[in-house]
Amino acid sequence: MILLTMVARVADGLPLAASVQEDEQSERDLQQYQSQAKQLCRKLDAQSPERCTLEAGDMNFHLLISQGVCYLSLCEASFPRKMAFAYLEDLSNEFYDQYGRRIPTVTRPYSFIEFDTYIQKVKKSYVDSRARRTLSSVNTELQDIQRIMVGNIEEVLQRGEALSAICTKASNLSNMAEKYHKDAKYLNTRSTYAKFAAVAVLFVTLIFYVRFWWL
Amino acid sequence: MQTSSVLLRSWIWLLSVRGGQRGEGGRIQEPHSLWIQAVGQSGCSGLYRPVARRVMLVPQDTVHPPQTASGEDITNLWQNSQLSPSLAAMSLQSSTPEALRVVNLLQERNLLPPAPVPAPTPCLTQDLQKLNCSPEVFRSTLTSIPQTQSLLNKAKMPLGLLLHPFKDLSQLPVVTSSTIVRCRFCRTYINPFVSFLDQRRWKCNLCYRVNDVPEEFMYNPVSRSYGEPHKRPEVQNATIEFIAPSEYMLRPPQPAVYLFVLDVSHNAVETGYLNVFCQSLLDNISSLPGDSRTKVGFITFDSTIHFYNLQEGLSQPQMLIVSDIEDIFLPTPDSLLVNLNESKELVQDLLKSLPNLFEKTMETQSALGSALQAAFKLLSPTGGRMSVFQTQLPNLGVGALQSREDPNQRASAKDIQHLAPATDFYKKLALDCSSQQVAVDLFLLSAQYCDLASLGCISRYSAGSVYYYPSYHHQHNPAQVERFQKDLKRYLTRKIGFEAVMRIRCTKGLSIHTFHGNFFVRSTDLLSLPNVNPDAGFAVQMSIEENLDDMQVVSFQAALLYTSSKGERRIRVHTLCLPVVNSLSDIFAGADVQAITGLLACMAVDRSVTASLSDARDAMTNAAIDSLMSYRQSVLTIQQPGLLVPACLRLFPLYILALLKQKAFRTGTSTRLDDRVFAMLQLKYQPLAYAMLMIHPALYRVDDLTDEGALNINERTIPQPRLLQLSVEKLSREGAFLMDAGIVIYLWIGRNCHSNFLTQVLGVPNYAAVPDNLYLLPELDTAESQRTRAFIGWLRDQRPFFPSLHIIRDESQLKASFMQNMIEDRTESALSYYEFLLHLQQQISK
Repeated sequence: MILLTMVARVADGLPLAASVQEDEQSERDLQQYQSQAKQLCRKLDAQSPERCTLEAGDMNFHLLISQGVCYLSLCEASFPRKMAFAYLEDLSNEFYDQYGRRIPTVTRPYSFIEFDTYIQKVKKSYVDSRARRTLSSVNTELQDIQRIMVGNIEEVLQRGEALSAICTKASNLSNMAEKYHKDAKYLNTRSTYAKFAAVAVLFVTLIFYVRFWWL
Repeated sequence: MQTSSVLLRSWIWLLSVRGGQRGEGGRIQEPHSLWIQAVGQSGCSGLYRPVARRVMLVPQDTVHPPQTASGEDITNLWQNSQLSPSLAAMSLQSSTPEALRVVNLLQERNLLPPAPVPAPTPCLTQDLQKLNCSPEVFRSTLTSIPQTQSLLNKAKMPLGLLLHPFKDLSQLPVVTSSTIVRCRFCRTYINPFVSFLDQRRWKCNLCYRVNDVPEEFMYNPVSRSYGEPHKRPEVQNATIEFIAPSEYMLRPPQPAVYLFVLDVSHNAVETGYLNVFCQSLLDNISSLPGDSRTKVGFITFDSTIHFYNLQEGLSQPQMLIVSDIEDIFLPTPDSLLVNLNESKELVQDLLKSLPNLFEKTMETQSALGSALQAAFKLLSPTGGRMSVFQTQLPNLGVGALQSREDPNQRASAKDIQHLAPATDFYKKLALDCSSQQVAVDLFLLSAQYCDLASLGCISRYSAGSVYYYPSYHHQHNPAQVERFQKDLKRYLTRKIGFEAVMRIRCTKGLSIHTFHGNFFVRSTDLLSLPNVNPDAGFAVQMSIEENLDDMQVVSFQAALLYTSSKGERRIRVHTLCLPVVNSLSDIFAGADVQAITGLLACMAVDRSVTASLSDARDAMTNAAIDSLMSYRQSVLTIQQPGLLVPACLRLFPLYILALLKQKAFRTGTSTRLDDRVFAMLQLKYQPLAYAMLMIHPALYRVDDLTDEGALNINERTIPQPRLLQLSVEKLSREGAFLMDAGIVIYLWIGRNCHSNFLTQVLGVPNYAAVPDNLYLLPELDTAESQRTRAFIGWLRDQRPFFPSLHIIRDESQLKASFMQNMIEDRTESALSYYEFLLHLQQQISK
């Protein structure tokens, strides 16, 4: 099943088109996935891998970037990855044909929402299991799964957070080290003083001893 | 001149400080502003002395000049101030503004202005007033807001706002920007009434906290200049629309989805409405608002539910019948709502064949509840608009209703029962619809009782609208058919906003507590509107929680976030600014009698449902008594006999009496329960301008229309006859009179009507030849006919619904309903206007 489809501009994460249709039985928490998808689009940049699959619980986000546009779909984990990417490829071709030239200039979110009609039609042909068999036979050689990076959605979304956690930990560590250094110095001085004091006491005792014993 | 004005300023300042210490802080500002006006009006020589004296008067508490006083008034004041204090007080009384002129209602009979009553203008400086929101969109019952709740309680007038937020506007600035500038703390949109502290900071006019001006806002796209944030369109227009960025979307914007749910039982086929509906939809199918994603679907029902598979590629529509109405399911979920562009031919086929399909049906039962559930299931994935056409009491399956009306009790003067819904099924379903962004519009075409009080809930809580065509029949009632046709055309083609929410904010210290209209209140101040249409009005009640001591003005902001039929998310923002006053006379001077009447009507509807009708009637009468009593006791200095009211409230008793005689609230006159409930729904839902016509119809004499003072619109001359009082004494047998009562217009022909009018306008030789049930004026090529038709056409053009025209004679059946609108006259069960005034006077002087 393909539950959610979104098309966004990579440069600034602006959503360009999406499919709204939800199925009756999938009353699942689509809202949450919706916002995850949005966040994901905002995190993309030129360095992002061209194709990748991100695992999010029992769902997979499949991501395809081509010509500065990101095509993203949320599918059930059981949905064949090959199919998902064939579907995205299909969308990307049509989308670029229809709107290619206007993509860099638009500013309004969902400017090409009318693409939804096409998305739904393609989706139907991919989701329909009978059509799927014929399609998959056509597409067997199309996809090289090895090219597709696999990751976890949480990891991607929280990558920044992990880094900042490391940062705080490191700075904590350096603080601690400094403190340790200070403490050590202080202890050192104290022990030196103690040594001097001991010697002095010994010396004074010696003088007293010499003075009272010998005299 | 320079030095004298500087000197003067310091004088005033000194005096102000002294005044302030006496606890008259609010008043000390006025001399200052007056002075500024005076400089502008009458030059500077010799200003010094008079102004100084004028200021001296303030502590004596005799002068209370309004802020709108013109320069001339001020000169008068100066001259008067040299007289003895008592004389000065007298003459000052005469200089009160027009709104506060004392009117003795028992003596002055002819109070109606010649043309419709305009909305009062708030007492603001010209700069602010120029920017302020139009009263057609945003209106307050009191155009001067009292400083404290106790002052408001003393004035005994309701404080509230009336809104028409999605009104069709001829001019609306639309702004596209990536960041919409809003207050960080209270989320108010930037508006013309904020203050800029400097180039980089602005102060919110609702919460008074300081915000930064974002870099992007420094550039003005209109004038293409930089560094003038106060010249941006957002700060120059009180009504503005923003294209929303993606943060304002929980999900991608939904497509326009229209689902039609049609009653096809025997009763429905009898009325013949299907033909009109299908024809109207066929005619307007390409002007349905939407884009290439627009979807449509159809469900018909009698004792079973019928779905129509309109999937692209089929050769003809497929009908699928579900007879299990207890546990409703969708036979083929994804081919029932189809893309209009792709399946247009199938849809057209269906519309052509639908009226014939059920011609011979003998099914009399109606499973409306199940049909609504099915429709909800179909729409819930996307949201959209559901239009339900119903012709009888639903009597099968869930949501079945029983007849609750006893026709013998219609005219009883006792309390009216059954104004509240019989079941909460419709309300519950409406709330489910609301949460899935589905709005339900109800078209009720029925001769029998349909329990609108219960059925109406489905539209009320899902922000839909209700249309009611009593005794609709395609042959027997052509006037209703025409009205239905015209209403449908408007309904199908008017602008629509999907998945909308509206929030009304007001300056800190004021709080909104009750909302009126069709919607669901999702959180304390967020109205959920699955659909919003340009003909919906709203009203809110307010209270003053904290004293507004140090404020000159307060602001109100209504923000409506919606998805247009083209899939754009937009925010329409209206901001209204009103002055704050601290004296009762100023509050009375700023009273907006129409808005007060409109708000009282909404409150009375609520009261009659929660308590009882007689309770609501008493409350309305008391509202008039209380406010006039408060005026008499606290504002009037000279006590005279009679019923004294300020000029701005001179129509208040008349409007209250009109409300008491309105279909919704009248007693003692035979009124069908559905008619009454429909009138109540209308009072709550209609924008003020249309509701006022329902409350107090307009009467014109039309047999002697002339071009004198006529309007000229689009090269058409529209005569403007005088408004007449609603009293039989104004009618004459020699004339013809037009009564405009909102959704219906009556043209009454006098028995001895001028033969000229009969032949030139009606095209009949004499009075006896005027046919019964005439509802169309013949198109004659005479000047009189053109004038009359132009006038009626103009009246109709001004409102979004289509008022049907009835031409009546003395013998006509409709004469009774025409005469019932003669509000100022006595009827068997209700007081005449004069008697009502005497009653008020008696209560006030008690």
